Amino acid sequence: MSDNKHELIVEFENDLQTVKDTAALENIRVKYLGKKGKVTEQLKNMKDLSPEERKTFGSVINKVKLEIQSKIDDLKSNLERKEQDEALRKDTIDTSLPGTFAELGTFHPVTLIAQRISELFIKLGYFITDGPEIEEEYYNFEALNVPAHHPARDMQDTFYLENGRLLRTQTSPMQIRVMETIKPPIKMITFGKVYRVDNDITHSPMFHQMEGLAVDKNVSMSDLKGTLGVFVKEIFGKIPYRFRASYFPFTEPSAEVDIQCIFCKGKGCNVCSNSGWIEILGCGMVNPKVFESVNYEPGKYTGLAFGLGIERIAMLAYGINDIRLLYNSDIRFLKQLQ
Amino acid sequence: MKILLSWLKDYIDIDETPEKIAEALTMAGLEVEEIIEPGKNLQNIVVGKILSKDPHPNADKLTVCKVDINKGEPLQIVCGASNMKAGDKVPVATIGTKMPDGFMIAPAKIRSVESYGMMCSKKELGLAEDHSGLYILPEDSKVGEEIAKTLQLNEVIFDINITPDRGDALSHLGVARDLSAIFNLPLKRDTLGDASGEGNILDEVKIEIQNNELCPRYSARLIKDVQVGESPEWLKHRLTQVGLRPLNNIVDITNYIMYDIGHPMHAFDFDKISGNKIIVKAAKEGEKFTTLDGIERTLSNSMIVIADEQKTLALGGVMGGLESSVTEETKTVLLEGACFNEVAVRKTAKALSLPSDSSARFERGVNIDNTVISLNEAVKLMKSFCKCTPVQGIADAYNMPVPLRQIRVSVKNVNRLIGINLSAERIETYLLRLKLEISKDEDGLIVSVPPYRHDLQQEADIIEEVARIYGYDNIPETLPEIRTTVVPQEKDALLADKIKNYLVSCGFHETITYSFIPEKTPDCFLSKRPIAIKNALSEEMKLMRTNLVPSMFEAIKRNMLNDEKNLKFFEVGKAYLPSDSNQITEPLRLCIGLAGAKNHLNWKDSKSEYDFHDLKGLIENIGAICGVKFWITGGETASMYHPSKQAEIRAGKHVVGTFGVIHPSLITNKKVSKNILIAEIDLTAISKENPAKIKIKEISEFPSVDRDLAITVPDNIEHKDILKTLKADAGNLLETCDLFDVYSGKGIEPGHKSLAYSLRFRDKTKTLTDEAINPIMERIIKSLEQKYQAKLR
Ligand SMILES: [Zn+2]
Repeated sequence: MSDNKHELIVEFENDLQTVKDTAALENIRVKYLGKKGKVTEQLKNMKDLSPEERKTFGSVINKVKLEIQSKIDDLKSNLERKEQDEALRKDTIDTSLPGTFAELGTFHPVTLIAQRISELFIKLGYFITDGPEIEEEYYNFEALNVPAHHPARDMQDTFYLENGRLLRTQTSPMQIRVMETIKPPIKMITFGKVYRVDNDITHSPMFHQMEGLAVDKNVSMSDLKGTLGVFVKEIFGKIPYRFRASYFPFTEPSAEVDIQCIFCKGKGCNVCSNSGWIEILGCGMVNPKVFESVNYEPGKYTGLAFGLGIERIAMLAYGINDIRLLYNSDIRFLKQLQ
Repeated sequence: MKILLSWLKDYIDIDETPEKIAEALTMAGLEVEEIIEPGKNLQNIVVGKILSKDPHPNADKLTVCKVDINKGEPLQIVCGASNMKAGDKVPVATIGTKMPDGFMIAPAKIRSVESYGMMCSKKELGLAEDHSGLYILPEDSKVGEEIAKTLQLNEVIFDINITPDRGDALSHLGVARDLSAIFNLPLKRDTLGDASGEGNILDEVKIEIQNNELCPRYSARLIKDVQVGESPEWLKHRLTQVGLRPLNNIVDITNYIMYDIGHPMHAFDFDKISGNKIIVKAAKEGEKFTTLDGIERTLSNSMIVIADEQKTLALGGVMGGLESSVTEETKTVLLEGACFNEVAVRKTAKALSLPSDSSARFERGVNIDNTVISLNEAVKLMKSFCKCTPVQGIADAYNMPVPLRQIRVSVKNVNRLIGINLSAERIETYLLRLKLEISKDEDGLIVSVPPYRHDLQQEADIIEEVARIYGYDNIPETLPEIRTTVVPQEKDALLADKIKNYLVSCGFHETITYSFIPEKTPDCFLSKRPIAIKNALSEEMKLMRTNLVPSMFEAIKRNMLNDEKNLKFFEVGKAYLPSDSNQITEPLRLCIGLAGAKNHLNWKDSKSEYDFHDLKGLIENIGAICGVKFWITGGETASMYHPSKQAEIRAGKHVVGTFGVIHPSLITNKKVSKNILIAEIDLTAISKENPAKIKIKEISEFPSVDRDLAITVPDNIEHKDILKTLKADAGNLLETCDLFDVYSGKGIEPGHKSLAYSLRFRDKTKTLTDEAINPIMERIIKSLEQKYQAKLR
């Protein structure tokens, strides 16, 4: 009997070195812990000992037994796991085969952009509303300070209908319709189809606009600039943009917003006609004449308004170079929007 | 409009770079779309003189020239052109030149003869499309000089997009005025012209304005002993650079004045005018008149004409007449400087399709003081290079003087609208820079608007001027207070958003198609007479659609012609429905198109074509998403669908949609499948229905008894009838009844089908036994046998 390690343990550990699988381990178990195993034999021999000896000897052998059992258990679970893995490894599939769950569809680029913009403005406290595409001359022009025979009408070539109405050339008539219905404070956006007599690679006779309007007692140009700054950041990320003077009959002062050309980073290229800038939207402070149209008390309110072409933004965002792709429902185009 | 930097410098000493000037103008609202520098691409191209021209030893079509460029030895150049001779002067691109098209000139050996440069055509210089031969330069061109200098191409041209409100900026003076305000530089040139002359015009010309509305002011000067001829080079050059074609000195001067100070003028051959009276009046309705371009036009009484006592001479503000125009023979010229009614000029130019530089300016409004100034400026120019004797004085009819417009501006409103905090003094400074006259009282500033600023009508317009000069760039960025009136979004649009998400999850691709449909759309697609567009782009885009089905059908067909067979599309858009009372409704519709194989990308599961029942299931789900119970009933109601594969969708009492297989007779191309499914649902109608109420039933804790029932019935018996009978006979112990198989074919009697149902019975209060269910099953079977000749399988 060794002082620190029982000779049975030493022998057992030597045996254990040779074990490669669960079957060999079982043999070892039987050799030590089986009915005729070495540990069991020793326990059987105990009956010949005196009660004192039996107590000491018994505790030693029991310790040996427990140690052997625990080492067998540990190794057994290791070996079992290994053997199971080996079996599983033989049960192969081709993981490179395509997935078979029903595939996803796609949203139209116009919807994707409109969703992003409306989410932003809803966060800023705007409500969404919708209005007619077949409009009256009054709402599309006169009420927006574009009298008949005004040169500003040349900015938008209009489709006229046989029933005397027209297809709205802009979403701005909704400014009038909303202000006719409710009094400030107003914060609204509207989105929808507009029409102009125009058809080429960058112009479509039908396209989508988004219009925003905020009217309250002290809305200012700096609010307009700040709001559109947030918009540019949301849609295009951190990109230089500028806010320059322009003209729209229904805003005064008026402005246009340009972003740095995303194709040439401002160096000048074909897309931006070498200016380094790309125009993305028109905006301004609601013209007092528009407030007059909706019978608001003169001078009481100020308002900001902006309008933008969704297609134009979508074309920039997704690198689409022919606007007609957006309307011909070509599945080879639509599938790419995933 | 093209504006020359050198011309601007007549008015203002500005040293900024062209880029800086363009940016400043753009930021202030005069958008520079392009800076054109025609000479910029022509560096290292010089005037060369051809000393000799010899045939190429190895090529018939080539010549070998010796060319002097006044620098070192003459160059040997091989050339393919043939229009030159020894002694001609031509543009020579020297070694190292980068041509406008990017080509680099390098020493070359052409058919074994060395060549050191290239002689150029106009096209190669990017100056014209003319490629017929070399550009033969004027004889007096200086050999060795940069061609850009010889041809006066070292010009900077700004192409500016002038917005419709800024008629005042349609001239070099106008643009210079803005630059003067932006850069705070003085305007140095006066525009008083030359009022001197001999005799007295009032003895020779009288002006009569018959309608002061149409023409608030008409002024004229008479110039005698005129020698009509070519204009000097500098003037022709300026006109060419702004895009005008020089004609003769008189016409050129009127054009020059228009681009210089912005006032359109007209010149008459005074000897062609009968009598001494110029009459300004409305045209006679139906009157014929031949304009300068030789075209006879029919006039209407809203147009302005200039006439003598016998005949019409010109269309006021739009175009002169052929008969009284200035020609080589003209000796006496009557110059017109007038101010015509904006709307009348616009209507005339529109009606006759005659937009011109002149009408563009009158439409936007001109400076009424310029009628006289333009005449004196023209005379001053004329005297400087053209033999002539101006007559003293101006014949001026100005019956309705335009009152001075004054606008009150409060400092508070300026700062409130812009969102800044400027002092009254700063505001005043900016406005003074814009040449606006200011007076002050305790309430603020009173701005007197100069006669050329027709855009300044109200306080907000003046505030914009302050903002422009302050600089839009300098305005801070803030956000408005979040205060709004709550307006709920339209319910149909909300439904659309939900459905879009669902359909995209189901693999559908969203499309957007035009709201227009062709004039020749088959009747079966038209639910009402569509609204027509008066000025449609084409017959294909003539009508406003009354439903989305024809557009969806076209989209599917187009894809099938591209060999795309498996298509799952949807579109949400409006239909445009006229009503009897000339009201129009625009209901929001959902259209679904479905064709091809289910699981076509799935290599594991079996494939089958999408059919009626697939679409039906999708539609039922959409009903659930909308919170509305759909009742789907078959029946032949729409002729665009297969007569027996179509159904109506009802919600509440209303038909809210239809769907089915497109009628095979509408499909003529072999590449297009005959199994195209389309559905259209009216979301606006659904949004008006009351949502189905959800009421949770108690869940029984007792076990169920499940039974399967498989029967065969004749083909014409419908599932819905069997189900009805079955439920009636089963009573309230029946919890669910699901159809799990429909089969016909082998093993089934011809003309019959097999239906298999799985029934689940449950009692709320006790455990069911087979004994309780057996009589129910027997009852069901007996009923089905009696009513539908059903046989148990
Ligand atoms: Zn660019």
